[in-house]
Order: sequence, then C-alpha cells, then structure tokens
Amino acid sequence: MSRTKRAAVGLAAALVSVGAIAAIALWPGGEGAAGRGGVQASLAVSAALGSGDLAGFARAMAPRPFSFPADHGPHAEFRTEWWYYTGNLETSAGRHFGFQLTFFRTALASPAAVAATRASAWSASQLYLAHFALTDTAGRRFHARSRLSRDALGLAGARAIPFHVWTEDWSAESEAASGLPVRLRAGEGDVAIDLVLASDKPAVLQGDRGLSRKGPEPGNASYYYSLSRMSARGTVRAGGESHPVSGLAWMDREWSTSALGPDLVGWDWLALQLDDGRDLMVYRLRRRDGAADAHSAGALIAGDGATGPLALGDVTLDALDHWTSPRSGVRYPSRWRLTIPGSALDLEITPRLADQELIVGPRYWEGAVRVEGTAAGRPIAGRGYVELVGYGE
Amino acid sequence: MRRQLARIAVRHLGRHPWQLGLTVLGIALGVAVAVSIDLANESARRAFSLATVAVTGRATHQIVGGPSGLLDDFYRVLKVELGVRLAAPVLSGDVAAVDRPGRTFTVLGVDPFAEAPFRPYLSDESGGAGSSAPGAAAGERREPPPRDRLSTVAALVTRPGAVLVARPTAGELGLAVGDRLAVRAAGIRRELTVVGLLDPGDLASARALDGLLVTDIASAQEIFGAAGRLGRIDLIASDDAAGRALLERIARALPPGADLVTAGARAGTTAQMIRAFQWNLTALSLLALVVGMFLIYQTMTFSVVQRRPLIGALRALGVTRAEIFALVMTEAALIGAVGTAAGLALGLGLARGLLGLVTRTINDLYFVLSVRDVDLDPLALAKGVLLGVGATLAAALAPALEATGAPPRVVMSRGALETTMRRMVTRVTWLGLGLLAAGAGILALPGGIAGGFAGLFVLMVGSALVAPAAALGLLRLLQPAAAAAFGTLGRLATRGIVAAFSRTSVAIAALMIAMSAAIGVGIMIASFREAVVSWLEGTLRADIYVSAPSLVGNRPDATLEPALVARLAATPGVARAGTSRGVLVPGPGGPVQVVALDVDPARPPRWRFREGSADAVWAEGGEAAIVSEPYANRRGARVGDAVRLRTDRGERDFRVGGVFYDYGSSAGVVVMSRRTYDRSWDDRKISGVAIEASPGVDLGTLMAELRARAAGDQEIVVRSNRALREASLAIFDRTFAITGVLRTLTVAVAFIGMLAALMALQLERAREIAVLRTLGLTPRQVWGLVTAETGLMGLLAGLLAVPGGLMLAGILVFVINRRSFGWTMPIDPSPAILLQGVVLSVLAAVLAGLYPAWRMARALPADALRDE
Repeated sequence: MSRTKRAAVGLAAALVSVGAIAAIALWPGGEGAAGRGGVQASLAVSAALGSGDLAGFARAMAPRPFSFPADHGPHAEFRTEWWYYTGNLETSAGRHFGFQLTFFRTALASPAAVAATRASAWSASQLYLAHFALTDTAGRRFHARSRLSRDALGLAGARAIPFHVWTEDWSAESEAASGLPVRLRAGEGDVAIDLVLASDKPAVLQGDRGLSRKGPEPGNASYYYSLSRMSARGTVRAGGESHPVSGLAWMDREWSTSALGPDLVGWDWLALQLDDGRDLMVYRLRRRDGAADAHSAGALIAGDGATGPLALGDVTLDALDHWTSPRSGVRYPSRWRLTIPGSALDLEITPRLADQELIVGPRYWEGAVRVEGTAAGRPIAGRGYVELVGYGE
Repeated sequence: MRRQLARIAVRHLGRHPWQLGLTVLGIALGVAVAVSIDLANESARRAFSLATVAVTGRATHQIVGGPSGLLDDFYRVLKVELGVRLAAPVLSGDVAAVDRPGRTFTVLGVDPFAEAPFRPYLSDESGGAGSSAPGAAAGERREPPPRDRLSTVAALVTRPGAVLVARPTAGELGLAVGDRLAVRAAGIRRELTVVGLLDPGDLASARALDGLLVTDIASAQEIFGAAGRLGRIDLIASDDAAGRALLERIARALPPGADLVTAGARAGTTAQMIRAFQWNLTALSLLALVVGMFLIYQTMTFSVVQRRPLIGALRALGVTRAEIFALVMTEAALIGAVGTAAGLALGLGLARGLLGLVTRTINDLYFVLSVRDVDLDPLALAKGVLLGVGATLAAALAPALEATGAPPRVVMSRGALETTMRRMVTRVTWLGLGLLAAGAGILALPGGIAGGFAGLFVLMVGSALVAPAAALGLLRLLQPAAAAAFGTLGRLATRGIVAAFSRTSVAIAALMIAMSAAIGVGIMIASFREAVVSWLEGTLRADIYVSAPSLVGNRPDATLEPALVARLAATPGVARAGTSRGVLVPGPGGPVQVVALDVDPARPPRWRFREGSADAVWAEGGEAAIVSEPYANRRGARVGDAVRLRTDRGERDFRVGGVFYDYGSSAGVVVMSRRTYDRSWDDRKISGVAIEASPGVDLGTLMAELRARAAGDQEIVVRSNRALREASLAIFDRTFAITGVLRTLTVAVAFIGMLAALMALQLERAREIAVLRTLGLTPRQVWGLVTAETGLMGLLAGLLAVPGGLMLAGILVFVINRRSFGWTMPIDPSPAILLQGVVLSVLAAVLAGLYPAWRMARALPADALRDE
C-alpha cells in the first residue's frame, strides 16, 4: 500500500467517523424515569386542617319527627348521609343475583364554612360517592364499581321532591310525589341494573323513634330508618345478557355527624327477609378488643310492619366459618348462626358467594346471603344482605 | 516489548508539553462544547417532558375547546348522560409570583374526585402518607375516603384559591400549610392559600412537580377569570374496540368548536418546535468538535513525522506495523482520554451557563419552563466520552496508518514527505470536490432537519479538503504581492508555508472551517435580524400597544377585560384603537394559531408577501385569511387553497389570500379580520390593543393616562411603538445569544489549533531559522518573518472562509431555518461581516504566532545548529 493511499484510507475512515460522531451526538436522550412511569407523589396530610372537625354541623341528639317524602331527601346540615339499597333477585328460571347500590353523601365543609358566593359553578360543599355491586351467583362472579363526584353542575346530588339521588350516571329516582316506587339505575361495562322498587311495608324507624345511638356520648348517634321489604322488578345485565328479574330489596337511610366512638373498630350488619313475612335487622358494633359493644342493636319487623327492638342481649351471633380475601389478605367471618331466643329464631346464614368484598376506595364486605333455620321449631328460609366493616385494620 | 512501546509513547508526549497541553485543551474544549449543549438541551427537554407528564398524566385523549375553551356543561353531559367514567376536567395556566420577581408557576386546576385514574399523585387513593394519621375517626368507615385525607381535599375544594404545592418547592419558597401566596394571572392579582403539600415519590417526580400549583377546578376558573369554561377534558380510552367505540360516541356528542385529540398532541407539537431549536444548537456544538479533530490530526501527524527516524529504527529492530499502529493509536487514546476527561468537567461547568440561555430561549419562544439545575444525564456524559475519544482516534487514524508506512531503517527526509504531501493534495482535493457534490445532493433531496445538517456537515468537510489546494492557488496569487510588500522576507514567508505544507495546510483548513462557521452564522443572524427589523416595521404601525402580561415571550395567551378595552379606547387623545386576538384553534392537522385583527382598512399592517396579498382579508365579507410563511411551509398551503378550522359553528374553510413573511411564530399563524373571526367564533376576548394617537398628542402623557385608566383593575403592559420594537429585538437577540456563544467557542478551538500548529512548526524549523540567523537575519527580522508567515496563513484561511461562510449562511437560511422553523429571509451578505471574518482570522493567526515567533527570535542559532 503506498503512503498516499494509506493516508487517504485513514482520511476516509476519519470522515466516516465524523458522520458516526454526528449521529451519536444527535441521538435522542433517554426518557426520564417520570416520562415512562408517571409522576409519583402522595398527598401529605396536615393535622392543622382540622380533620374530623364537627363544628358547624347538626348532631343527632334526640328523637325527631320523621316526615315523608321530605326525609327521603338530603339533610345537608349533617355531615354524612346514605341511601343504601340491597336486594336478592331471581330470574323466572331461578337464577339468583344480589345487588347493592349505595349513595353516600359527605360534607366537605360545614354549611357555615363554605364561601357564600363563588364565581365558579364547580364550587361545592357536598361530595357524593356511589357504590354498585352485583353478585352473579350462577356465574360465580362479583362485580363492584364506584362513582365519585361533587354536588355541582348536576354531576351528583339529591333532592326530596320529586325524589332523586344520583352520582354521575347512577341514580335512584321516583316520578311519584311520595318518592315511591323508586327506579334504580346503575351499571358499567357489561354489568348493570335497572329496577323499580315498591315498598311493601311502612318505613321502620330504627332505635328510639328513629334515633339510633352508637355510643354513650350524646350526639354519637344517627337518624336511621329502613324500608325493610321492597318488591323489586326489572332487569339485570350480566355476562353479556339482559335478565328480567324480580325479588326483594331493602333500603337503609341514615344521616349523622358523628356516630362511632374511638373505641369501636367496625361493625357487622345483617338485614334478613324471612319467608314468613318477617324482616330482621341486626348490627353488632365491634370494640377494639373484639367484643360486641353494648350499643349493638336490631329490630324484628312483623309482616304488618310492627317493629320490636332488639338489644345486644337479645341476640347471639356466632361465626361458623371464615374466608380470607386473596386480594386484600383480610380474613372475614363467612357463615353465621344467629339466634333470637325471645322469638324462638335459630338461623344459619350463608353467603351466596364467599367473595363479595368491595375494594373501590374503602374496603369492606357486603354480600347477598341465604338464610335457613327454624322459627319456633318449624323450618324457615329467607334471604338478605350482610355487611362487614372494619376487618383487617 | 509492548511496555517499552508504551513508555516511548508516554515519554514522547512528555517531551512536548506545550504541544500536548494545547491538544488536550483543544479536545477538552471541543468535548466541553458538545457535552454542555447536550446536557443543557437534555435538562431542558426532560424538564419539559416532566412538566408535560405532570399535567397530562395518564390521559390517552383530550377534548379541547376552541378559543374560549369548553363549556363546562359538556363535562356533565359526558359523565351523567353519556356515562363516560374516565374523564377529568382540566383548566391550567401560568401565573407569576407577585413577591418573587421572575418566579412563575403553572396552575393546574383539576377535579380531585376525578383525578385518581389520571394523575394518581393528586388523588386521595394513592396510599402512603395519609394513612399514618393515628386512628382518626376509625369508626367512620362507612363513609369512604378516610376523613383525614379527605380534609385536605375538602379544603382544596371548598376554600377559594386553595392550592397544593410540592414539598420541595414549598421549602424553597419558605411556604408552609396555611401560608398565602400572591400571584398574578394575566395581570390580575389573586391570593392563593397553601392547604396541603405533595410529597414527591422520587427525584423525577420532584422535578415534575416543581413549580406546579395544584388547585381545584373551581379555584382555577376563578383565578383565570374563566367561570363556566374548561381548558380541556382528559380521557382514558382503552386501545381496543370498546375504547374506539367510546371515542366515537364522544366525538359524535362534541359541541361545535371542540375537538377530540390524542393526549400530548399539543405538547408534542411544542416538543417538536423545541427539538428543532435544540438540533440547531447540537449541530453548532459539533462544529467545535470537528475543528478540534483537525487539531488532533495535526498533533498526531506532527508527532509521527517528528519520529520518523525512531519509527524507522524500531521497524528495523523488528517492531511490526501493527505495533507501530498501536503505538500511535495508544498515544492518541491517552490524549483523547485526558482531553475528554477535562472536557467533561469543563462541559458540566459550561452547561450550567448555557442552560440559562437555552431555557431562556425556550421560554421566549415556546413554553414556560423552569429548569434550575443541570441534569447529569449519564447518556449525555457517555456520548461525550464516545465523542471525545472517538474523535481523537478517528483523527489519529490517518497519521497512524502513515506511520506504519515508514520503511525499516530508512530515514526519510521531510523534503520527501512534503513531495508526497503535495501529491496527496491532489487526491484530497478530488475527494473534497466529491464530498461537495455529495453534500449539495443531500441538501437537494427532500429531508428533515437531520438531512439538512447531514448535507451541511458533508459540505463543510468537503470544503475543508478542498482548502489546501485552494490555499496553494491563492498563495501563488499572493506571492508577488507579498514579495513586493516585504521583499525577501515576504518571499521567504510564502515559501515557508508551502515548504511545510503538510503542517500548514491542516492549520489553514481548521481555521478556515472555524471562520466559515463564524461568518456563516454571523450572516445568518444578521440577515435574520434585518428581516425581523423590517417585519416589525411593517407589523407595528400604531403608536401605543396595550396587552396583558404574558409569560411566554411571543405568545399572547393572556387577555384583556373587554370593559377595560372599551375604557382605554375612549381615552381622550386616542384616534383609533385596533384590537388583536391570538388563539389556538383545533384543526384537522393539529392546533393552529389564529390571529384576528381589527385594523383600519386604510392602514393595514405592511407585511411582505411571498405570494398573494391581504386585500381579500380586510375587505368586507368573505371567509378569507392570510397565512404566514412557516404555516405555508409546514402545511403546504398556497394562495387559493383553503385552511380548514374548527369553529364554534363547526368546521369552516377559509380561503388563503396570501402568504406573508412572519417571524413571530415558527408554528405558523393564520390571520383574519376580526369580523371574519366573530362570524365563526363566540369569543369576544381581546389579547392586545393597538392605539393610534390623535395628531399632536404627547405619547408619554397618553401612555400615563392609559395606565391610570387601568389602575386597580388589571395590570397591563403599555408600550410605545419603539419600546415594543426594542423589546421584540431584545427577545431576538436573547434567542441568538447562545448561538453567538457557540460561535465564539468554535473560534476559540480553532485559535488553539492554530497556536498548536504554529508552535510545532516553529519548533521544527529551529534549524532553518538558525541558518537564517547565521546568514545575518536579526532576531527582529526573524520575528517579522514568523509573524508574516502566520499572518499569511490567517489571511489564507480568512479569504477561503469567505466563500465557505457564504455557503454556510445560504444553507442555514434556506435549508436549516426553513426546515427547522419554517421561515426564510433574504440573505444579507454584509461586507462588514466578511471583512470582520478575514480580519479575525489574521488576528487569530498572528496572535497564535506571537509566542512561537518570540521563541524563535530569541533562540541562539548555535544551540539549534549544535543539535545536528
């Protein structure tokens, strides 16, 4: 190789390198970690903002007269309120579905603390959260969804006349001035309900004429009434099909500002409808040490609506089995024996599905149950809903 | 053996500390420039991307409104009537801190209750910090969001002006929960209250959240005076049939003027613009490195030639060619490594300085960005290492191959080498001509910015290769003149350059490239500035301009209250008040900047038109518009075509009446009359007012009167024609400040190259000089000879840089600018810049030759001769 040739080769190589170098220099840089994985941060909570500030809210101190349909509507002067619909439905072929549709109202600030006039229509002092769950017993599927919106711009809200409570596209609504019958509509993706509920019994005022005390401290109580037996009719969509269904539903209405004392960790709540026309509601407030609180209570509602209150000592409730959630790892009681010696009731309560755990925001178990047992020695069956709150905390 | 060779390499390097030091410095500077630009770019880009991620979140699509935003009722329609679950309203904008001049924030207005799927860091379900609050309201589990966390969100929603700030930002500003922060949004003062702190999960998130004020959508509407309006609605749609069906359903329900776009489409457009700007910087930074490569090539060639006898002897001792090659490459690698290491350190420092300039320009032109620290991007550093060492090795390849050619034991005279060299010049020239043709070919092909720069680089290298031959030719022309001027010394000087052409040619070529760059960039900037000046003259025809303060230099995103405008127009002394309104309008090909002007038809802006005219625009009726050159270039619009825009009355076509030269927006603008605009949009807002004073009215008094009329209402910017023109040019000059810095750095590298070359050359010529001294040349004459030689080299490089610079300027103006920014301008090859380039070249060379000349002149002839 001649010298010049060699030098020329070297020069050519150098030129190619210049190109390569330019290519390297212009190579786009790597995306930042945040470019791929999203921004990570958490909201620090400041105690200075007065968590659990009760000032400015009304308290449930004494029994009050209930007036319908007005009391079907919201009570904004209390901090918390809910419309709680649960029910067991069946197709004509006997396929079972359980449903839960709940609207929670939470005050973001006391009415007094909210700025009177704001330019933006988004300004709001109430927040609505809705939970919808469908138990597809035959399909062995449990679906749970939620909605969350402020009471502004018509995104969510509640009113008494005509009755309407809604959170985005889910609603409970009545065209009648009395607020009954009520139409429930909720759904997402391939699960939905569209039901009309009529009440078969008058409203049951729970506790002391509707004042349900949850602790010794005055004001740790709620106003609480139920429509314990509502006949339901409509359609359930599940698994890509629409099913005409009918069955029985239960509505619980409760509003309060502060209900539970600090020594309580949660509750077990049962609402059962027996085939003999009687309905039974029992809640057991659980103390930190696992024992039932003295303010646990219930009611046995006769076929004609006559209500007999139940106290802690009137009821025994034993868990026969447990189920551990594969998702949360929380262990829930899962089958119960409930006896009310005073009424000669001895019932075994079995979940339709073991897994009816909702993890849509807060975590709890709320599911359709089957009831079998004896009433005064004679076999009896029924259906209902059980709610388990505060497990695994 | 290998160890001994390595020792030879090290010892040789050690024996020429000057040479070594300058080469290392040259590489270091080249690497530093490239790395610093890369780091600064990368930091700005990441800040941008983080800022985008922070506000875009996980949205896949967005519904964007027309000029006046989206009516917020459409959000209710989406959620309640259409049952769209994953939708979140957003209203964001920029505000300036009142008490901290220069500090800006992005206010991100969201609905915290819709945020969880979009920006989980804002939701109350992201877990972590909040759950630690000890057993607060443990029993209230039936009401879902835990009370403690909710209380912060509740405060955010229910308190007007409540904001969340990232903890590091709060710490830096000395803000705690409960503190107030006064800001100005479009000039109107708003009081904000910090109600909560966001704890970033990692460093990247901390950067993303820096400068972000998260607020409730209600507060955002109040801060920006936009009650009833949303900036956009974010959506998440799955990439499957269901997702597409959802989008379809939403698209059918869209109100007129709104548009459904993929998320980040807007940010993407902005990112593209910024990227074009950054490409230009990167290319300029590479120029310094390429000049640095010449320096390395020169040093290595010099060291090889100097040691030809030694290499010959080594070969005779049985050292193989491969080992010789390795020896030279090892030396190069050592120099490269040291230079690169120094370059990285220098680059980091330089990046801190350049980052400010880069960010400033981005803020002026594109996006409010706060970048306050250089991101030590490992990739950029790795690229720097690869560039530095790679460039050194590449430049050393030719000398290394050359060294292997030394035959055993034969000591080749330099004279023979020079003969070979001159033969080689011919080949190199042909190669250079080939490259020039190839470069022209690349530029002729349609290609993006990358193609433009590829062509530019090939042309630059080509001209560097042609430079030696051209220099010889020039020298021949100059010889008589030099002889006439300086007599024998002049003749000696020209001969000296030719005699040592293997050395001098490289130095001349390197200097020529650097000076071409200086001249080319200089002409480009001057032409650009000239074009901008005449454009401003045509555009700014009124006496006084009023606008709301905007945070992006050239973007009129803030508006004036219509009542205020009416009050200003009624001020005594105002003969006419024309208004302008600049908005972003969704269009099929992405957002389009539309400017609606209410101007006196008798005194329209005097723009220069590339084609067509504005007659149809100012005439009554008709849906006519004119488009700026960048718009026409980017979207291929021509006179007679239609621009389709999504208006509040649905999609409408606007006929293009003309294409005008515009340097205000590199995205391009569509200009129409206010009447035309009002027929299609329900937007009554005004971005700026142009006021013509009645004859005889004192402008200063009138401006004071205008300010007084706005006092207490909205902070407004009132500027005279001249002040606005000066402000515009100040932005222009700021934009090009970084270009100027890069240009200077490139010349600095070339200067070092020149110094190194001359040092080597003069040291090598010690004997020759000694002979001249014994022949009676005085030290003063020696000094003169050497200086004449170096000056002549500088002159050659400078003269050759004139055509090179003109070529570069042409490419920058007609190819790079057009492809990067969409605009072109008449090229203005001012003789002053050309002359300046030549003078600078001569000065650089003479300066570089001062020290070698001084040493030569002082050397004792006897010492030099005794070495024989």
